[in-house]
Amino acid sequence: MTTRTREPLIFERSVAGKVGMDLPRLDVPAARDTRPAHLKRGEFKALPSVTEVDVIRHFTRLSHWNYGVDDGFYPLGSCTMKHNPRINEKVAALPGFADTHPLAPAAHVQGNLAVLYTLQEWLKEITGLPAVTLQPCAGAAGELTGVMLIRSYHVSKGAKRRVILLPDSAHGTNPATAAMAGYEVVVVASQADGTVSFEDVTGADGKVQKGLDTLLAELGQEVAGLMLTNPNTLGIFEYRIQDISEALHKVGALLYMDGANMNALVGVARPGDFGVDVMHLNLHKTFSTPHGGGGPGSGPVACTMELEPFLPRPVVVRDTAKVGEGGVAQHSYRLDWDRPLSIGKVHAFFGNFGIVVRAMTYCFSHGGDGLKAATLRAIVNANYIRKELAGVYHMEYQTPTLHEVVLDDSELANDVHTLDVAKGLIDRGFHPPTIYFPAIVHGALMIEPTESESKEEMDEFIAAMKDIALQAAENPESLHQAPVLVGMRRLDETMAARKPVLRWT
Amino acid sequence: MRYLPSAPSEDRALLDAIGVGRAEDLLQGIPAPLRLDRELDLPGQQSEQEVLQQMAALAAMNTQFHSRFLGAGAYDHFVPAAVDQMISRQEWFTAYTPYQPEISQGTLQHIFEYQTLTCDLTGLEVANASLYDGASACVETALMAVRLQKKRKTILISAGLHPHYQEALCTNITPHEGLQLVLVQLKDGVTDMDDLAAKLNGDVAAVMVGYPNFLGCVEDLKAISDAAHAAGALAVSVTQEALAFGWLEAPGKLGADMATGEAMSFGNKLNFGGPYLGFLAVKDSQKREIPGRVVGQTRDLDGQVGYVLTLTAREQHIRRDKATSNICSNQGLVALRANIFLQLAGPEGLKGLALQNVAKAQYLQARLLELPDFSAKFSAPFFNEFVTCYKGDMKTLQAECAKAGILPGLDLTPYAADLKNCILWCATELNSRAQIEQLVEVLARVPSLVGLAGVAK
Repeated sequence: MTTRTREPLIFERSVAGKVGMDLPRLDVPAARDTRPAHLKRGEFKALPSVTEVDVIRHFTRLSHWNYGVDDGFYPLGSCTMKHNPRINEKVAALPGFADTHPLAPAAHVQGNLAVLYTLQEWLKEITGLPAVTLQPCAGAAGELTGVMLIRSYHVSKGAKRRVILLPDSAHGTNPATAAMAGYEVVVVASQADGTVSFEDVTGADGKVQKGLDTLLAELGQEVAGLMLTNPNTLGIFEYRIQDISEALHKVGALLYMDGANMNALVGVARPGDFGVDVMHLNLHKTFSTPHGGGGPGSGPVACTMELEPFLPRPVVVRDTAKVGEGGVAQHSYRLDWDRPLSIGKVHAFFGNFGIVVRAMTYCFSHGGDGLKAATLRAIVNANYIRKELAGVYHMEYQTPTLHEVVLDDSELANDVHTLDVAKGLIDRGFHPPTIYFPAIVHGALMIEPTESESKEEMDEFIAAMKDIALQAAENPESLHQAPVLVGMRRLDETMAARKPVLRWT
Repeated sequence: MRYLPSAPSEDRALLDAIGVGRAEDLLQGIPAPLRLDRELDLPGQQSEQEVLQQMAALAAMNTQFHSRFLGAGAYDHFVPAAVDQMISRQEWFTAYTPYQPEISQGTLQHIFEYQTLTCDLTGLEVANASLYDGASACVETALMAVRLQKKRKTILISAGLHPHYQEALCTNITPHEGLQLVLVQLKDGVTDMDDLAAKLNGDVAAVMVGYPNFLGCVEDLKAISDAAHAAGALAVSVTQEALAFGWLEAPGKLGADMATGEAMSFGNKLNFGGPYLGFLAVKDSQKREIPGRVVGQTRDLDGQVGYVLTLTAREQHIRRDKATSNICSNQGLVALRANIFLQLAGPEGLKGLALQNVAKAQYLQARLLELPDFSAKFSAPFFNEFVTCYKGDMKTLQAECAKAGILPGLDLTPYAADLKNCILWCATELNSRAQIEQLVEVLARVPSLVGLAGVAK
């Protein structure tokens, strides 16, 4: 705990002559200066001269200004802020893993290759898809890899095609990914229950949004694929996903599933069983690896055998030999670089290996039965919150939901909006939900409790949400002022963007 | 299950409140035929003790080398204890992207400091909060250069770029019709200025050059930047060993318009290649095209200085298909490691550490060149990596080194025809003189091909 209201930038603490790192004694002759004069390093302007004590106190004080999962309820929808088991960290730090070089010969990194191979096998079982790469470093990188697989597949059939379809509820990374993979984005309408519509939909403004049938009829073989989050960003399972897949396949297009919400499906349904051709998973969401203040994550991609030849290289291969009289199977692992149809590397080396180790540890801890139990609990938790807050907050879509629920501010009194609710939650000791997303719900509050939350924690959150709704009716101005209890008031984001100050000078 | 808050009475209370008999009843939104009708075929639940045993057994399958002379984009440096201790605080590692600035000032101020230090190291004006790694940072930078240059469609990449970075560029540029990557050849380990001049034309958006490059050679970034600018192209410096910034002039001071690359050297273990840290710094005039998160300073309602995510109009959650990148989660915690490491090092520590790396690599080279089978491949100055030609049998060398617990340099034979039987060596502050002497001793024992040929006659 700190009573300080502000920790200065470390640069303001710098005093020439102080050091925070003592170097080892040099046991070889001093370096000869081989640099041309103009390549000699000049002075640093910002690197601070501070002691280890200064640095430790600096970051400890700064840390007090953060809210983490261990502080309490963190229902950031679509981000799956579940508990980060400490054993994951301990395992990833084992010198046997941490001190291995990515270019060491395969014979010397059999343990690492076994980790990659095994987690791939487990993710195949979980997704129901027969091929997996662990190379992408985050969800968006997985999306890009997946859409590039789709592109290479179409190129192999003659033409890459022009369009990727997306529902209007899609996460922003989906359209950005499609563009980065060289595709145009065309939006598919959502119907009244929040799922993808086959038919055209006329909005309240009289505008007609085209449904899947119309778009496929009009665009036909121009469509490379459709990116679909399932369950979608409303927490609703796209119950016609198999029909969507069939409709796409009829015109030769493929179905991409954004697996950001896979925490609702592990152990209860498998994308490979309902027509998905390619998908990504987020190890930092579904598989408990820490979010780190914004990464590192990991975004494995799973796909059908038709797409397998295009996976990023290298691919981990297991060879099995029968050894001895009893013919005991002995496994060895190697890297297959000879992949002529591969889209190529998407990252250096093997992506975020340390995150893969953590995710494998998580799977070991839970086992198949524990993973399913976690999914069911996550769904129970979200439905409990939904039930308890129904009638207090408006809910646009009444369709059954799985692991998250989207409420909104439309029934709050006195011009109190979603932003005020979020800031009111901060004053009550909670991290706010994801706000103003998905955009198809005006003033959305997207709540994902995850399986980590006990009834008691949720009851406190529910009480806080009810209290805020009451405060909106009785004392709206105080809510507009929130937060007032965390040492920092609302920040001027307009000023930050208009006159950007992006570094200390 | 130790992570699940399950207790019979509470479970019942939750289900009763919802109004269902069992949790499975809540799966009604998933059509029955689409549900999995069996249990997952995975190992069963395990205690922490059992999990640790199994994972430790896998870790033990890897060879533990007591000395390593391999770099090539993944560098073995000392990690101060303060780095691991500090990032283990839950406030840092369990939080996410600072969407709610009032309760994320720790992360936001850290990123602001990290951006400042990245600018200081690179001599440029605006840095982002991180990219995935050196390879994807190159991709983002190339795409940004094309956006800035509007009608120019060619990216020249020096053959001295890390081969994985080259391949990732190829993977990601291919989907963009009209864009092309053109390779500039090397001459004596550095970018061939004649080939560069021949390939620079009005269609070239940017020239990307390794600084130092994959072969350890220090390129004359000034001359390359000048050549690029004369043709109206942007100069992009790509650094795979960021510790070199403690010894080599900042790219921005040498004319580079953008500096990108890999900064895993600041406070990270090797981790079998990741998570690492892609960095990017650009000029102020280019800031609205930069990919990824950027933090800016502002004030709160009471006038207190604070920090927020800013320039968000560039980003995927606002601009969707018109965004500067699809990146969302980046390498936040690895950037924090770098920030802590750099603050501990300070200007004197960083320069001193860099100088030790140079000294170790120079000593290693001198000792290797005393052996009859080794000769220098290139003449350019180097930081902590250099290439030797080797006359002996590579497989025997690797086997003998492994027997002695040594991971030798990288066999470059698969990488280029003119690098057959060449080895890329790396030495850092972690390589003691005793380790170098032991390596030389082992290598001296490996019979050379020349010697064997003599015996055969």
